Amino acid sequence: MHHDRSDRDFRFVTPKPQVEVDEELAFHLEERIAQYVAAGMTPNEARRVALARFGDMQGVRQECAKLLTEDRKHAARRDWLGDLRQDLRFAVRSAVRAPLFSLLALVTLAVGIGANAAVFGVVKSVLLDPLPYAAPGQLMRLYCPFRDGTQTKGALSAGTISDVRERQHSFSSLGAFTNPRDAVLLSDGAPQMVQAMFIEPRLLRTLGVSPIRGPGFREDDGLHDTTTVVMISYGAWQRLFGGRAGAIGQTIRLNGLPRTIVGITPRDFVPPEGTADFFQPLGMSLFMRDPIAVRGSHNFGFVGRLAPGVAQDAARREMNAIGAALEQEFAKDDFGIELTAVSLRDAMVGDTRGPLLLLLASAALVLLITCANLAGALLSRTISRRKEFAVRVALGAGRGRLVRQLLTESVLLAAAGGVAGLALAVGGLGLLRGLALDAIPSYANLSLDGGAIAVTFALALATGLAFGIGPAISVGRADPQRTLRDETRGSSESIRSRRLRGVLVAGQIALCVSLLAAAGLLTRSLVAMTSAPIGFNPDGLLTFQLNPPANTYGTLETRNQLYDEMLRKLGALPGVSSVAITSALPTQVHNSNGLFIQDAPWPPNEPVPFILTVGASDEYFHTMGIPLAAGRGFTTTDAPNAPPVIVINQAMAHKYWPKGNAVGAHIHIGPPNPSAPWITVIGVVGNVRNDPTHLVPEPTMYLPFHQESYGNTVLIRTAGDPVALTNSARGVIAAIDPMIPMYKVATMRSVLGDSFAMRRVPVVLMTAFGALALLLASVGVYAMFANMAAAREREFGVRVALGSTPGAIARLVVRQGGAWMLLGLAVGAIGVAVAARFVRSQLFGVAEFDPVAIGAAVLVLLVCAGAALLRPVRRAAHVDPISVLR
Amino acid sequence: MFDKDSGLLQGTVELLVLKTLSWGPMHGYGIASWIESATDDVLRVEEGSLYPALYRMTRKGWIKARWGVTENNRRAKYYHLTAAGRRQFRDQTSGWQRFAAAVTQAVTSRTAPTWAK
Repeated sequence: MHHDRSDRDFRFVTPKPQVEVDEELAFHLEERIAQYVAAGMTPNEARRVALARFGDMQGVRQECAKLLTEDRKHAARRDWLGDLRQDLRFAVRSAVRAPLFSLLALVTLAVGIGANAAVFGVVKSVLLDPLPYAAPGQLMRLYCPFRDGTQTKGALSAGTISDVRERQHSFSSLGAFTNPRDAVLLSDGAPQMVQAMFIEPRLLRTLGVSPIRGPGFREDDGLHDTTTVVMISYGAWQRLFGGRAGAIGQTIRLNGLPRTIVGITPRDFVPPEGTADFFQPLGMSLFMRDPIAVRGSHNFGFVGRLAPGVAQDAARREMNAIGAALEQEFAKDDFGIELTAVSLRDAMVGDTRGPLLLLLASAALVLLITCANLAGALLSRTISRRKEFAVRVALGAGRGRLVRQLLTESVLLAAAGGVAGLALAVGGLGLLRGLALDAIPSYANLSLDGGAIAVTFALALATGLAFGIGPAISVGRADPQRTLRDETRGSSESIRSRRLRGVLVAGQIALCVSLLAAAGLLTRSLVAMTSAPIGFNPDGLLTFQLNPPANTYGTLETRNQLYDEMLRKLGALPGVSSVAITSALPTQVHNSNGLFIQDAPWPPNEPVPFILTVGASDEYFHTMGIPLAAGRGFTTTDAPNAPPVIVINQAMAHKYWPKGNAVGAHIHIGPPNPSAPWITVIGVVGNVRNDPTHLVPEPTMYLPFHQESYGNTVLIRTAGDPVALTNSARGVIAAIDPMIPMYKVATMRSVLGDSFAMRRVPVVLMTAFGALALLLASVGVYAMFANMAAAREREFGVRVALGSTPGAIARLVVRQGGAWMLLGLAVGAIGVAVAARFVRSQLFGVAEFDPVAIGAAVLVLLVCAGAALLRPVRRAAHVDPISVLR
Repeated sequence: MFDKDSGLLQGTVELLVLKTLSWGPMHGYGIASWIESATDDVLRVEEGSLYPALYRMTRKGWIKARWGVTENNRRAKYYHLTAAGRRQFRDQTSGWQRFAAAVTQAVTSRTAPTWAK
């Protein structure tokens, strides 16, 4: 579209419409009067006749002014669009004219925006997307935290659940569940391992979830021992039953017991904790019948939907009050145990919030550095284009217009970078899904939806404005006459733009050192966690789990027989040095029991301590490489009918028997049951760390497998490659009983690795972000020195000609740029302090201001910056005076 | 002759302005003067009504204004035809000729209708 703006550009200021109209009409009248005067009228007469001939002067004036005002508005809009189109066309042309710059900027932007989009995608799906329940904001999870802080998300006992139901007024509906557990599914082919959990039928109603197929549970399902129905998840329906409609009504065997499928949960449904394939109806009345377990066993999760008009805080206060009352009434069981309610989202987000926000902040820092870096690059480019701009200003382009043109260029680049970044983010999310599957709450599906894409483009736009604004303004301020007159080298820089570049480099260094320090602290923390002695030898260990069907191996005797045979045959395999059975591998022990010491009852105002409890066969300590510190380990004499015995770790021995008299002590564990026989502590073993984030090992006790038959995890120690044993071990199990599934086969090393996954993901990502920031900052430093050196090339030539040494010139250059770098480091000190504060909650075993981590961050940055400035400084120092001065 | 605000007059004024400007750029006074002399003062209406017409035609994109200087060195607003204005001029001229011929033919007809007694 051709658009002529000459009528507006002709004069410096466009007059107001009324002024313009009046001038035009005045010209008309004066011409007419002049004509009449020339024809012989007197001036007064001429004026009167001319006015009469003109007609309604006031009416015409007003109408014309109105029309002109409208026209101007219309034209302004048209101009704006026309300018934009022109700017865009020009921006594309100038981007194509500098392909290297454009490509580099595009890649940098794609990485910066992509990192942000990917992290935002995760944050959005975990922290912002609604939970897969109806009105999820009304849902709360109830917990029984221990007052001593050892347990914040404690489960509830059946008794507490029943009492809460009777006393509470905050919730309109409440539902209980147990944690998902391994179960054996037998439908058509070979037995398969699945995850099964018990839920109260009213849990689904509380969550507002209905089955997508089948009738689902009836209200009284689970209340009777004869209940045989089960619901399955959408995933299990697809995976195990091929998504067939006939799955409803089909009868399968779950843990050996016949069950009929009555419903399928919606596709996006996940239980409030963990994931499950099968849902069995839970009836609390069964648990209410056991007088000891009713309050002594804390096994249940509990979720409630707030009654209309009840606030979360009010519900929490009510639960606190009920908890305090229960603690009084049932002090024997509930002492030291509180009751509280947290929003279900907070409960499900769990520990991922901190690391996610950390990653979001890191990605934002990278983007800021990207902006600073591109601003620097753009500055160099605008300096080399100064003549072009000066010519355009001289030809009548307004400064505002020029600034707008440059901003259009940078926003266009950023938008292109946003598109590429989005592609990177999609790939990055795929990568993250593999890396962090266990670390991300199960309801979150990591993908970029419309919202995330919109945010990404808003980000790209902001980025384009952010890195374009500085250089654009510096161009808008430049003096075109001087530029055009100035015949010196086109590369020289004004003081102002040199200062801008210095500030940009300082900013990059400050941000970079903050990010590096945070990454360093997290790395140190991870190293501390992984390198602190774990307490056993994880190398050469193969582990797997078994699930002997309960109907065949229901008694202690049959289980002992089975496992004895298995231990014998596995131990006989070539290369196997020892075999053991345990209830849970280190880092995976979740079961803990109350501790009661004979003749040393806990004072009434002190809570019963809960101690991690592990089942262990006779060879367990030997197989794991856990040293015996005192007493003895388990032997065959610790048979089912022999006196009950227990082995404890050193941490427990030191804590409860500080005088060193643990061996021989008598204790009770679990729900207090005075009629149970006392258990004798027969040995003390070395500490094993269960929680990788705790550098100090927790007290732990070990129950003899033969007396309790507690555990189904097999450990095999070999001198060779543990994985090579897998097939022969499988053969042994199948030979003993083909109906026993063997699963979760892994080396102990990889089990440990998985337990660190959640800690490792943020560290890996932050280190990657740190490396990226380092690269960008180094490029920024390089560009600063290169420009500085080029700008003063003539001067250096003169200096060399006058006898200056290369060393002196190098010092000159380094001093000038070094000042900015030092400023960056100084500001970075604040950044480091903020970053350290920010990561503090994620640090374990390392101080907030760990000198090693922070020192390393500064050092790495200085080394990279030093390497980056080497080349430009050397070029400046070895400038050839003859070629420069000619 | 014509009612001042009639659509017929307005359309006619616009056509005459287009015709005037087809000779070249001219200011409002010049346009008014040319129309009057070219129509032998028959279409002599109040000159003021020419200006709103000019602004409306500018708005429609048929003409454009530009400040210039007269032979006597006075600042004046000169109007010129745009490409769209030139097209409009061609269309309206042929339309007017057909219209005028049709009306002329009708009002000068000597053939009486059948119902005329």
